Amino acid sequence: MFARKRTYGGYAAFLAFNLLFLAILSRPGPSKLFRKPMENGGFAFEEYYSALTLAFAILGLTTIFLLIPFLALVAGDVVSKELEDGNLRLILSRPVSRARLLLSKFLACHIYTFTLVAFLALISFGTGALLTTWNGSMFVMTRPREVLGVFDFETGLRRYLISAGFLTLCMSTISSVAFLFSCQNLKPAAATILTICVFFIDRILWGVPYFQDYQNWFLTPHLRVWIQAFADPLPWGKLGWHLGILVGISIGCFAVGWLTFRKRDLKA
Amino acid sequence: MIQFNSVSKTFPKGRRPALVNLSFSVEKGEVFGLLGHNGAGKSTALGVLLGLVHPDSGEAVINGISVQKKREKALQSVGAIFESPKFYEYLSGWRNLKVLASYSGYWKRAEAEKAVDWVGLTEAIDRKVATYSQGMRQRLALAQALLPRPEVLLLDEPTNGLDPDGIVEFRERVRRLRDEFGITVLLNSHLLSEVEQLCDRVAILRHGELAFEGKLVELSDGNTIYEVSVDNWDLARSVLELLPVKISGEGRIGVPDGIDPADLVAGMAKAGVKVREFRKRKASLESIYLSVGRNAVSLGTDSVSPDDLQLQPTTD
Repeated sequence: MFARKRTYGGYAAFLAFNLLFLAILSRPGPSKLFRKPMENGGFAFEEYYSALTLAFAILGLTTIFLLIPFLALVAGDVVSKELEDGNLRLILSRPVSRARLLLSKFLACHIYTFTLVAFLALISFGTGALLTTWNGSMFVMTRPREVLGVFDFETGLRRYLISAGFLTLCMSTISSVAFLFSCQNLKPAAATILTICVFFIDRILWGVPYFQDYQNWFLTPHLRVWIQAFADPLPWGKLGWHLGILVGISIGCFAVGWLTFRKRDLKA
Repeated sequence: MIQFNSVSKTFPKGRRPALVNLSFSVEKGEVFGLLGHNGAGKSTALGVLLGLVHPDSGEAVINGISVQKKREKALQSVGAIFESPKFYEYLSGWRNLKVLASYSGYWKRAEAEKAVDWVGLTEAIDRKVATYSQGMRQRLALAQALLPRPEVLLLDEPTNGLDPDGIVEFRERVRRLRDEFGITVLLNSHLLSEVEQLCDRVAILRHGELAFEGKLVELSDGNTIYEVSVDNWDLARSVLELLPVKISGEGRIGVPDGIDPADLVAGMAKAGVKVREFRKRKASLESIYLSVGRNAVSLGTDSVSPDDLQLQPTTD
């Protein structure tokens, strides 16, 4: 996976996305979006409009618009594309178990997810630092106002790192679902599209008032656990519950993917 | 060494069974050919042998180990090459070998170097596979197949896409594998000349059924085909009908072992027939294959004995 040029396309895309943010946020207009809620809450814009504040905003937007589709693409390809191309058939003509092969692919997806999120967290902070002071305090507000947090630089940085760690787990769930589809008898593009559909439909339905009583049955609230890293105090019990569910979903996806893949006839 | 025990397979979307009660065996050190037209079930049979295809019933056995029950163990001593092997194009040949061998937990640098040297790819091994010709890819495939130190080599249409030089070269390498290392080879091909030149025994598949299994010479029906050119065929025929030969068409006769062709020529000459030409004609495997196929269908049986065959030899 890491030898393919396309894999690094993700890093390049995120870098470009951040440069776009850099261009937009360096203009005076967009900073007003931050000024108003800060001043409404009684926080000085000059103190809280910082690298960490911007990094969180960039991370959130990049996750929705770029990270989810890209991980769906990479993990959706990981089995189905190699099977379509014939690579897996050659590997499986050797004394290799399908479980071992799938496990290595699954782990590769998660390592890639980890490196991509780490890279994204780093460049988001870098972009913020280029626009404002790098060691300013952090102001976090999410919609629909589930978290409102203000932190000094050191606490903010710690929370930002914890949040990036949680985001890795959240995004690993995306990779796992894409991996599950990739193990099915589907075209690679279909695995990617299905994964994206699952998450966006889930997100839409989660926002529908009719489903208010069934919130925890959706993926979206669990996938937003990385935002909870900015709640004060940290709700460890709630975090553990969400993260446990995400890990469970990932393991479940691998198990179902393996069960279906092991029964498939792999004919040219 | 290799056994197919009543293997049957029908794919969910298949119009007809891919394999029907297929049973045959390959002995140690043999080069065994699996012949058949496209869709005859050759690749499915190989897929079953490699555990890539799950049979509905029956099992394939390698070295006494059932592939369906203990796949990894059964394949420990097996190397396989497919038609147009697909490597990771963006990796070097060496890296591809390492990836493939590492998956099966077998990577020994010295042995890999030896295998690469043996297939004659040493100079190009550090280049990306994307730059390789079809022949080089096939040699790389052979190198990876040799890495588990195979006792059995499975070749699925290995020379497809190779140029004539590549075909000759590949054939030579397979011969060396058998002669130098005593490797048992199962060759799956529709290139009849290839099978004819390489294989000790063959199995012929038709619509997933075994139409024939045995030595190629058995298919000759015990007769050697001769082509006769005479000034008067009717007269020659009347003479030949008195002799223990089989007339299979105008100017073609099957001569059983033990009959001296010179006696036939002398007999015709004595009767006043001018014999212009009398030469041995080798039955092509293609004609044999077609003949076996026709008989298998017309008889509606799983297999055909050599006695059932109607040879229709053609010029090579």
